[in-house]
Amino acid sequence: MSGYIRLEHVWKRFRKGEVHDSVRDLVPAMLRGKFGRRREVVPDKKKFWALRDVNFEVLPGQALGIIGPNGAGKSTVLKVLTRILDPSHGSVDVRGRVGSLIELAAGFHPDLTGRENVFLQGALMGMPRADIAKKFDQIVDFSGVEAFIDTPVKRYSSGMNARLGFAIASHVDPDVLIIDEVLSVGDTAFQIKAFERITELVRREIPVVVVSHQMPQLVALCTHALVMDHGRIVQRGTPSECVAGYLERVMSTNRRHGEGAINIVSVNAWQGSAVRSGERLVLSIECSVRDDQRTEDETIGIRLRSDDGTIWFETDARRAGIDLPQDKWYWFDLSVQLNVPAGGYVFESFVWNSAMNAETEAGPTIGVNVLPGRLFSGPVQLNAKGWITHAAQYGEAAGWAAPNTLQNVSLDEPVNS
Amino acid sequence: MWRARELLYELTLRDIRVRYKQAAFGVAWALLTPIFVVLGGVVARAALAGGHHGIDRTALASIAVKAVPWSFFVGAIGFSTPSLSSNSTLLTKVFFPREVLPISTVAAHLVDLSAGSLAVTVLLLVIQTPISLTVLWVPLMLVLLVLFTMGSSLVLSCANLFFRDVKYAVQILLTFGIFFTPIFFEPAMFGPVGARIAMMNPMAPLLEGVRVAVVEQHNLLVPLVTPTGVVAWDPIYLVYGLATSILGLFVALILFARFERSFADYV
Repeated sequence: MSGYIRLEHVWKRFRKGEVHDSVRDLVPAMLRGKFGRRREVVPDKKKFWALRDVNFEVLPGQALGIIGPNGAGKSTVLKVLTRILDPSHGSVDVRGRVGSLIELAAGFHPDLTGRENVFLQGALMGMPRADIAKKFDQIVDFSGVEAFIDTPVKRYSSGMNARLGFAIASHVDPDVLIIDEVLSVGDTAFQIKAFERITELVRREIPVVVVSHQMPQLVALCTHALVMDHGRIVQRGTPSECVAGYLERVMSTNRRHGEGAINIVSVNAWQGSAVRSGERLVLSIECSVRDDQRTEDETIGIRLRSDDGTIWFETDARRAGIDLPQDKWYWFDLSVQLNVPAGGYVFESFVWNSAMNAETEAGPTIGVNVLPGRLFSGPVQLNAKGWITHAAQYGEAAGWAAPNTLQNVSLDEPVNS
Repeated sequence: MWRARELLYELTLRDIRVRYKQAAFGVAWALLTPIFVVLGGVVARAALAGGHHGIDRTALASIAVKAVPWSFFVGAIGFSTPSLSSNSTLLTKVFFPREVLPISTVAAHLVDLSAGSLAVTVLLLVIQTPISLTVLWVPLMLVLLVLFTMGSSLVLSCANLFFRDVKYAVQILLTFGIFFTPIFFEPAMFGPVGARIAMMNPMAPLLEGVRVAVVEQHNLLVPLVTPTGVVAWDPIYLVYGLATSILGLFVALILFARFERSFADYV
């Protein structure tokens, strides 16, 4: 049976603060309802909408990534999907057995052994006992805790706990798969293994929903994506588009707009928002100069930040050897080679005043998703070049002196412009 | 509920294992509560008799056959009332039929009920209580007791999820309930009207049913009148017992299903 997921106009309301937690509060509330005047309808400030009109559909073979800042409603969507929460309005249609990689060790009892917990957690995830028994060795083998399988889990390290939890959850044969922030379980070796396992599950032609802050993995796993903010879907598209859009959205908040002479109107990338590592990207910065202001001390800069906020690169027109004109309106184009590892980045534009030694204006930002490159992998581009020396030539003319006898192989990509 | 039987089995097993892990006396604890109830009953009866003569075998047997079901009820309700609120991580992280949490706690206490029943059988044999075919009523009464306990556990655990004071109210009820439930005494001791009132306690027909069938060796379909003219058993009590346990469980399941959807919002 192949499953599917469909959410139509889903709204979910939560309460802030305490609800009646004791009968003392309930009795007056009930009396008011029964005998008091009909309660006037007051807009309730204690309630807020965690989901506002969320619509999406995931078909078999599709993997949907949900991106958004903390509190955007991503986990609420997953809880509505798994039927843990009931939507306040709208319909949720999920067909098939739901496998969820969320809170992997939620059902573990500390006093029970690993073995006992495998059966318990498996049952909680809806696996028949016979299935668990059949896959037991596989699960234990995957988790790598064989030696401690008959030890109470309270003696496990947190990593062992999480690994066993992941092993169980990833062996439920689901019709629909839901993954929430479990791409960073255990040590590096286990993370790689877990990621391979998830990739394998995603390839099974079942609908998959992934929530993660790990952008590269999300892009690698998903076929579709959407960005959520304050309970709404604010963007839909390919994973790369959404990652870039999300970064642009979060990084541009908290940036001030100053009163420098130069005003950055817009920033665009010629190649769009998805580029391969090692390729060139041309940024087109549209500038206008405010009336009657001197621009001599000012220059336009760009800054590259990764999704964790680290600054990777910064330059400006002056350092790039460009003299900015005195025009009222012009475009400043800047070509950069993205010799950075794959991942989500943003370019921030800014105006720098060298006399004041300060940033006088924070301009628009643009999100860029860097895909794994063809030329290299790893964090730095070492611009490798290579050549072949044939055995016959080796004795007579080794080395640099005779370039005409060597085959010079350049790995440099032609400039893209 | 049927689809969740495997989960019910696993959770019951969890409760049983956890209860006896790192407990030096193990299953012996299952007998400790009923033993204390019986001892308490013996003291209470001796006090009522003026303390001059001890109690007879019939009185001892009467207390013993009711002490075990009562201890089961107390244990099961005491543990199942907080079963939803104490598993809040599960409720907010994993989807499964929520009924299994209180029901499995009750099911885990069946171990205690079985061990207790076995011990009472041994006791009855030792004190040479005559046995008759009316003993066959006992399994029915115990099944009704279990159903009644399940129904109560569903309602109480659900209520405790929304209002945490339910747990304290239940504690008080279970502690002092023994004075309002015919365990140390028989309802007939209160006279004709008192007996009727005492039998309104939903636990009374179930406990008295066991006593009348075992100790009085009386068929539950026939009224039993004491030499003083008080009705000690009336078949209407059987109907009452059937209604409170079966209908009660039914209503409890409906109520539970009605509130289940909002558990994760409130827990």
